[in-house]
Amino acid sequence: MADLVWLHEEALRLTHPVFAAAGPDAACVFVWDAARLAESHVGLKRQLFIYETLCEMASARAMEIHQGQAEAVLPRLAEAAGAGRILVPASPDPAIRAAIACLRRAAPHCEVVAVEDTPFATLTSQPDLRRFFRYWNKAKKSALRPQGI
Amino acid sequence: MPICRVMNEMIPLPSRFTDRAALLAHIRALAGDSAADMPVPDIAAGGRRAAETALAAIDPRAYAVSRNHLDGAVTRLSPYIRHGVLSLDEVRNAALASVGDARQAEKFIQELAWRDYWQRVYLAHPERIWADVESYKTGFDASEYDPDLPADIAAGETGVACIDQFVATLVDTGYLHNHARMYLAAYIVHWRRVCWQAGARFFLDHLIDGDPASNNLSWQWIASTFSNKPYIFNLENVAKYCGPDINTIPRHNLVLDQSYERLSDLLFPYMGGTHG
Ligand SMILES: Cc1cc2nc3c(=O)[nH]c(=O)nc-3n(C[C@H](O)[C@H](O)[C@H](O)COP(=O)(O)OP(=O)(O)OC[C@H]3O[C@@H](n4cnc5c(N)ncnc54)[C@H](O)[C@@H]3O)c2cc1C
Repeated sequence: MADLVWLHEEALRLTHPVFAAAGPDAACVFVWDAARLAESHVGLKRQLFIYETLCEMASARAMEIHQGQAEAVLPRLAEAAGAGRILVPASPDPAIRAAIACLRRAAPHCEVVAVEDTPFATLTSQPDLRRFFRYWNKAKKSALRPQGI
Repeated sequence: MPICRVMNEMIPLPSRFTDRAALLAHIRALAGDSAADMPVPDIAAGGRRAAETALAAIDPRAYAVSRNHLDGAVTRLSPYIRHGVLSLDEVRNAALASVGDARQAEKFIQELAWRDYWQRVYLAHPERIWADVESYKTGFDASEYDPDLPADIAAGETGVACIDQFVATLVDTGYLHNHARMYLAAYIVHWRRVCWQAGARFFLDHLIDGDPASNNLSWQWIASTFSNKPYIFNLENVAKYCGPDINTIPRHNLVLDQSYERLSDLLFPYMGGTHG
């Protein structure tokens, strides 16, 4: 079955691991949700930057931009593309995480897979996040190496 | 359980435009923004090509010695990193490849690590993005801070010359040097006693690298709700780091032209000790 890649504004590049996970023929869509962007305080300048980036991506790879809400648009696009999986770059953004959860319920026949980006630092245990330097003392060794390993 | 919105429209959008003005008009129409003409803003170019050009120009050695100066060797990679046009991993790898010894890139990589750190906090504690992580360490209660951004700040008409210049740069270009962000945020929270959330919203609305984690948690760092003490500065410090383009004439910046000790007494009268 085919795959559908759902790109969002946290991962605007064609070299993101989500594409390798999805295979070369995967359809790809960005859902432009003006209301959500405004709610998230993404001003017009940033919207311009994001859309300009999308235009360049769409000139290099088959990719669609759809207006609407991700939770509503994606199940229909997945169905139209005959996709069995929707792959999405993982993100800490609660709005994106909520949309992924909704998608899992709205498209029960599709597997929804969140794909992590390549790591900056590889940590063996959960770092103490109370202050930056507690984290840095643990992360430094790995962060100063190529690929963070 | 997340609340799922239901809106079933699905409209394909174009991805080719004659120029930036046409794209801006399209975006404004999508946003339902019918206000008077808006000039095309002077912001960094979107896209991977522009990102790779900026990445090829980084100089981690020069960065380490000059990054605190407004005209220092900072990279302006932030909008590309924030929107994933570049990964933090590849930026770090490029930095290491550009120096002979990893230690020469350490300062730069440590700054990249701030982003990684804030992202980890965001993932582990999403509620901290808009809520005070700790209480203010300023002698004031959170309720004593104005919940709204005063109009003169948003308009860049405070009468404090350097602050008004920083606001104009933010609004016109969607970018500010880190030091200018710190000055402006500290002015808003500590001189004007405005809650950090109001300032954070203002920044997010304008920055093209606007990021809930890097922005809001940095505001909390300035405010002291995610640090051990409030961050303040004085005019002498602005003059030292900002160069001749920024107006640091004392009579145009009266409220900033004080020693740290005096500022501490003025800004935090209910708290003992000095800050810097
Ligand atoms: C009040 C305030 C608000 C801020 N809001 C944002 C924001 O919305 N988005 C954002 O990306 N950064 C934010 N920062 C952090 C920092 O100011 C910017 O990342 C930096 O100025 C961007 O310019 P540059 O790319 O030239 O940075 P450089 O100094 O060249 O640094 C290289 C990269 O490292 C990362 N970085 C550097 N310093 C920091 C830092 N302190 N925190 C997080 N990442 C860092 C950025 O991705 C940056 O592009 C804020 C800082 C303050 C004090």
